[in-house]
Amino acid sequence: MEKFLDFIVKAGSLDRRVIFVVIALAVMLPLFFPLGLPIRPTNSSQQVYDVVEELEAGDKALLSFEYGPSTKPEIHPMAVALLRHLMSKDVKVYITCLWPDGQFMAMEALDQVAVNQYGKVYGEDYVLLGYRPGAEAIIKGLVSNIRKVYTVDSRGDFLDDIPMMVGVNQVADFDFLFSASAGYPGTVEWVQYAADPVGITMSTGTTSIQVNEVMPYVQSGQIKGILGGMPGAAEYESLIGQAGIGTSGMDAQSVAHVIIVVFIIFGNISFFVERRRSKKY
Amino acid sequence: MFMKRQLPIAIAATIGFLTLFGWFVEEPSIKSFVDDDATQWFDILASFAMFLGALNLLKMQAMKVIRQSRGWQYAALAIAGFSFSFIAGFVMLGAYNVEVTEFGGSTGVATVLANEINQDLQSTRNILSAVPAGDAYIIDSPYFTEGGAESVVEQIVAAGGTAEIHPAEWGAHIATRGSLFNWMFRFIFTPLSATMFALLAFFVASASYRAFKIRNFEATLLLISGIIIMLGRVPIGGHISAWFIMYIVVLSLVAGVNTWLKNRTYTLVALVVGLLGVTIAGFITGWPVDQPSIFFLPVLQDWIYNNPNVAGARAIMIGIGLGIFASSIRYILGIEKSYIGE
Repeated sequence: MEKFLDFIVKAGSLDRRVIFVVIALAVMLPLFFPLGLPIRPTNSSQQVYDVVEELEAGDKALLSFEYGPSTKPEIHPMAVALLRHLMSKDVKVYITCLWPDGQFMAMEALDQVAVNQYGKVYGEDYVLLGYRPGAEAIIKGLVSNIRKVYTVDSRGDFLDDIPMMVGVNQVADFDFLFSASAGYPGTVEWVQYAADPVGITMSTGTTSIQVNEVMPYVQSGQIKGILGGMPGAAEYESLIGQAGIGTSGMDAQSVAHVIIVVFIIFGNISFFVERRRSKKY
Repeated sequence: MFMKRQLPIAIAATIGFLTLFGWFVEEPSIKSFVDDDATQWFDILASFAMFLGALNLLKMQAMKVIRQSRGWQYAALAIAGFSFSFIAGFVMLGAYNVEVTEFGGSTGVATVLANEINQDLQSTRNILSAVPAGDAYIIDSPYFTEGGAESVVEQIVAAGGTAEIHPAEWGAHIATRGSLFNWMFRFIFTPLSATMFALLAFFVASASYRAFKIRNFEATLLLISGIIIMLGRVPIGGHISAWFIMYIVVLSLVAGVNTWLKNRTYTLVALVVGLLGVTIAGFITGWPVDQPSIFFLPVLQDWIYNNPNVAGARAIMIGIGLGIFASSIRYILGIEKSYIGE
């Protein structure tokens, strides 16, 4: 028994390199050998799906990309899944970016979904307005007059020359607003300066850590549903019936979380054994 | 003194009051100022702020390199990175599109294009034949350098076709594949940024192992809610039976009874009663994984997110809101003067 307790105490000071290797394996192996764990959509993800489902062909959706490569694994899968849902319903998609990296993320998502999967036409089915610096001021500008913020789109084409921009002058002209956000400026600013003052239906997708900050707005009904991190993306993929990187990432995340919990429990057992011994002597 | 002190305060106070009134006064000129003009002013100032920020960054890093301060090598790397981004964004734009205007029936042109678009000759012919009559064919991947594009055009002309070079427009080149900036973002910035963030997973695991200890009541609450969120948020949480959690709860309660009463008989009775109670209830209900829902991890996780978490988040938001309000009033009234260096 004493030897076993010695082993536990020693294991309590496990070299962190061992932990790193275990976590690396826990993340990588499920990516190569998927477990296929079923995804259970939460109410907040279902709410986002229902809002998009209510849109009709020809309706206008304004998407804002506020994330970069660092948060891409969490936000990009949901942005792609949402684009798939919108494009399958022939909703016209307008994209703005409050983050400079957002423009590149949007391009990648559009190439994957609009161009390669659905064969949509730029300027008729979707448009990438691009990035503008100014955070909240940009949102306020879009609420007031889009053309004062954007004279040209990301390709340098004048807005007045783009067919799908005809009759689109401000945020109030859209039927749906979605913010794919990883921080500031992002979801909270869109609620405060656009969704609330204009009364437009808004949903959001955020990193897991940001859910805490945004949840009060979801509960109050100011935001209709939230996709929280990679689990939110996986849930949305399961709702639209198109598994993507979010779904495959959930196996890895599940195993990694279990491993971390096992480490925590193990660390506590070791802590108690050590404390008991120190009291004894 | 007036220009340095009173004037900036007067401007800040006037603009502050006007912006504030814009929300409450139905005066079209004030509303127009707040909604349109002020936001455009802000955009212009924000653009200049980026410019100033870049200059400041360069100055700070350059000083580190000149003084050979600790870690000056990183500063040198920052300057090199900045310079490369600047050159990629403003000087070497890249993204030279080659537009083949005439290619009908020429095997030579198809051969040149097959090499450029990595397709076999037959596929390239099929692609070209699908181009409507009179339209030009644009090679999918633009060229980094004008020389590269010119070389392809020369080959096409030598093969009997005609082609033109169309560089991407200034500004739009950032978003065009084939521009140096775009390449830099996709192949340097993206992997570096993703790697930095991915390292968090390892540090979180290591830190949780060392720091998440049951030292007191608050730490225990944090630990339990953390575990519930971690497992309840991922699909595997839905496979952990509520009955398993009930058994854990019973064992924890028995441990509590033992610590409180310090009596082996009572502890044994509590253990037997608890385990039997859960087992009998399980057999009666047929051991449904998600029932009783109060012990089902995804439901527990939802409850934590929607109740204690939102209550805390609201309290913080209200606090921040009041703080911002107080600070704004101080700025508008000229009490807070840190922005003029006081």
